[in-house]
Amino acid sequence: MSTIHDPAPRPTAPIIKIDGRRLRSERTKQLIVEAYLALVRENPATPAPTAADIAARAGYSVRSVFERFPHLHTLRVAAADYGLAHAAALAPARDIDGDRSTRIRSHVETRAGTCERGVALWRALLFTVDENDALKVRMKVARERTIERMELMYRPELSVLPATERRNLLIAFEAMTDIESWARLRDMYGLSFAEGCALWIAAVNRMLPHAPEGAPAS
Amino acid sequence: MSLRPVKIDGRRLRSERTKQLIIEAYLALAQELSPRVPTAAEIAERAGYSVRSIFERFPDIRALQVAVVDYSFAQISALAPPRGGGADGDRKTRIEAHVLTRGQTCDRWLRLWRSLIVNQGDSPELRERIRLSRDRVTARMELMFAPELAMMQPEERRQVLIALEALTDVESRARMREFFGLSVDEACLVWTQGIDRLLPKNSGEAP
Repeated sequence: MSTIHDPAPRPTAPIIKIDGRRLRSERTKQLIVEAYLALVRENPATPAPTAADIAARAGYSVRSVFERFPHLHTLRVAAADYGLAHAAALAPARDIDGDRSTRIRSHVETRAGTCERGVALWRALLFTVDENDALKVRMKVARERTIERMELMYRPELSVLPATERRNLLIAFEAMTDIESWARLRDMYGLSFAEGCALWIAAVNRMLPHAPEGAPAS
Repeated sequence: MSLRPVKIDGRRLRSERTKQLIIEAYLALAQELSPRVPTAAEIAERAGYSVRSIFERFPDIRALQVAVVDYSFAQISALAPPRGGGADGDRKTRIEAHVLTRGQTCDRWLRLWRSLIVNQGDSPELRERIRLSRDRVTARMELMFAPELAMMQPEERRQVLIALEALTDVESRARMREFFGLSVDEACLVWTQGIDRLLPKNSGEAP
């Protein structure tokens, strides 16, 4: 039996000095971003809330908003970053080693949850995306992540396809499981969350080729 | 029996012509400015009339938008008749014909469609037209893919039609061209393969 010895006394960790003023400022920024997000969620018909609306909602002055975000564009970019981080945290890849039907269900339910939570912010960002290159980058990242997730979840099935067909299928999946596609299922066709998921599961199942038996799930 | 001469009301005719020119001016500006809605002053300048002339014919900009959308939908229908022999062609011909027609429609109307989607606000008239447009897309697919859809149970058929509508959405086409950088032919192939995968195959038909 081996014994683990403490080799040497540990060096003293440097004391981290917390800058309270900076911390409060970051907290204020965060509250302003959250106020913006709450407004776009509650008022989808007003995708571009004004600085005055945001300030009132956050409980700060308009000046406080502009001290932290020189333009509303900067605030939208911060909201997009927050939305992307939030989406990633709430939607980890699950069941990647599961069988085909488990992986399809897991992916569809995760994606539907992301769409359900993110549609208001997505629309608000789309409303102003043409004026803002930084937002375009964030929206591109969001789409790329959606595709990467499908590549991960459906690797065994995609691996049986030639490269172009694989790319085409991923593009088709991306269109079908787009955030606006989900919104239409819910708002226009009046489907429940479970019915919307059932539709996507059936469609993915139809379109995805079958992997050879015994192929590793990932 | 002698036919009565039809009296043409020249004033009314001119007024209709003015309306039409205002609609066309709006359309041209919407294509250029999309998704921003053109102002009354911009429309008047483009059409060559006064702002007052616009509001004499349309009570507000929303009414003008509705007239523009109706005019555009009529044009879309006229420019995109069913091809590929309708439901009588073979599967491959029907899918390719539908993809070609739908792709052209999407390319032609993308900017106006974006403007409509972004600016629909709370307007029940515009929302109704958006819904109508999607219903027409679905109705066209019901016609083009009738043999395959007939092989399915009603609920399954409904699901596949909704999935097909999402796959061939205007924004789906735009993303293929702008985001994925596909050529027209490559974009058509994505849809052709996607539709082929979604539709059931008749055992007697070649894939």
